[in-house]
Amino acid sequence: MLSRLWYYVRETFVSLWRNLSLTVAAILTVAISLSLVGASLLIREGADRATAQFQEGVEFIVFMRADASADQDGAIRDVLDNSPAILGYTYVDKAAAYTEFQELFSDKPELVESVTAEVMPPSYRIVPANPDSGNVAEIARQFGEQPGVKEVATATDAIRQIEDFSNRVSQALLVAAVVLVGVSALLILNTVFTAIGARRQEIEVMKLVGATNWFIRIPFMLEGTIHGLIGAALAVPALFVVDDQVLAYFQESDAVPLFRGFAVPEGFVWDTSIWLLAIGGVVGMIGSAVAVTRYMDV
Amino acid sequence: MIRLESVSKVYKGDVVALKNASAEIQRGEFVFLVGPSGSGKSTFIRLLNREEVADEGRLTVAGKDVGEMSSWRVPYLRRQIGYIFQDYKLLPKKTVYENVAFGLEVIGRPRQVIRTQVPAILELVGLSRKADRLPDELSGGEQQRVSIARAFVNRPLILLADEPTGNLDPATSVGIMRLLDRINRSGTTVVMATHDRSIVDTMRRRVIELDRGVIRRDESQGVYE
Repeated sequence: MLSRLWYYVRETFVSLWRNLSLTVAAILTVAISLSLVGASLLIREGADRATAQFQEGVEFIVFMRADASADQDGAIRDVLDNSPAILGYTYVDKAAAYTEFQELFSDKPELVESVTAEVMPPSYRIVPANPDSGNVAEIARQFGEQPGVKEVATATDAIRQIEDFSNRVSQALLVAAVVLVGVSALLILNTVFTAIGARRQEIEVMKLVGATNWFIRIPFMLEGTIHGLIGAALAVPALFVVDDQVLAYFQESDAVPLFRGFAVPEGFVWDTSIWLLAIGGVVGMIGSAVAVTRYMDV
Repeated sequence: MIRLESVSKVYKGDVVALKNASAEIQRGEFVFLVGPSGSGKSTFIRLLNREEVADEGRLTVAGKDVGEMSSWRVPYLRRQIGYIFQDYKLLPKKTVYENVAFGLEVIGRPRQVIRTQVPAILELVGLSRKADRLPDELSGGEQQRVSIARAFVNRPLILLADEPTGNLDPATSVGIMRLLDRINRSGTTVVMATHDRSIVDTMRRRVIELDRGVIRRDESQGVYE
């Protein structure tokens, strides 16, 4: 068993080395396409986090004071329940607000530690009947004057614009990435095909002496899988650069203070990296499996 | 060991390679297949190894029906059959030792088996001192000995040889035949296709003569013609 493992490893690496230029091309293509996939996922996640409070039709949020009385709270709730201008709302209590805060700032533990659930303002996320911005501003102003209300935040045009922008960017990246992933699979297929061609004689002898089909196939499939995995491994540092540079740029922009939430926690970057490795491995395996079944006749 | 019952094989374009051929070969026999080019000798051999499948009839090798065998079993059939060629089919970048070891390695034999079996078989074929040479540093006869070593190292029940002396001079051919005879005497069934009249006439073993796919003659201790 051990000698068989050693055989697979040796044959795979000999073949990778013999085919160096194609191997490098295949690996780099995988790296670039998976970097784009990762960047797209990060930007989307960043935008989602930044605008999390304003999704599903929520146009403005009424933040209550942490020390608002039950009467003050009841009055607001009364208006929300009965006003024809309000389509719906969700109530986020102190505990939920604290949980959300923890998630948003999970990579800044010192910030999370500085607050407790007790000081978090409870809030109402409100979906108005008429989402027109003039109308929203007027209703928001009225709520702002109620006792017990700390502040009212509206989804400004800027937020919508950036949401839109990040959607477009991440979609464009994703389309380019999908095309490139396809190109990588073809390139891996070709590289493995070339490797098979270089070893025709060996394959012929292997068949004649009674090597099983899987024994013949496995080194080639490993080769393709390794292309995919190395490419994905190169895409991981690229992902951290995107996180550090691009997302940080949004975060530090003063234009929209809310976008300080445009941070993606490191845990998400690592999760994405694992996905990229999985995608890389699978693309490599599929590319080489196609080459093996189509061109090897075993 | 080998049984053909009314076996026929027709290639594309109605080329008849084997027609209604029946024969039985016992364990330990040495059989020459003779006949002109295109008479069906190679097809005979390729059917035994399941490189080809018969169109009609039944072919059994070591008790297994070769035609009905599912394709994943074929490698295990081939492990019981050694195969040598006119052009040797050695791997040019591997040494003599590595070429022989390759035959064991790719069927998953453990390394200690390889380490003991390969030197023993190289001793048998008389190439112990050339274990580290590459094939193109050897004479034709020596290359054929390597190919025999590779075919026999797994101790197969049957050895198939397709014109093994076709590229060799008569003196070298005699050496190769001595080796095959020795292997045969150890109990291995040998089936050899050949054009070499003097070898057939000297050895006086069973001869099956094919002509346009038909078995014309089947004699024990036969001659070429």
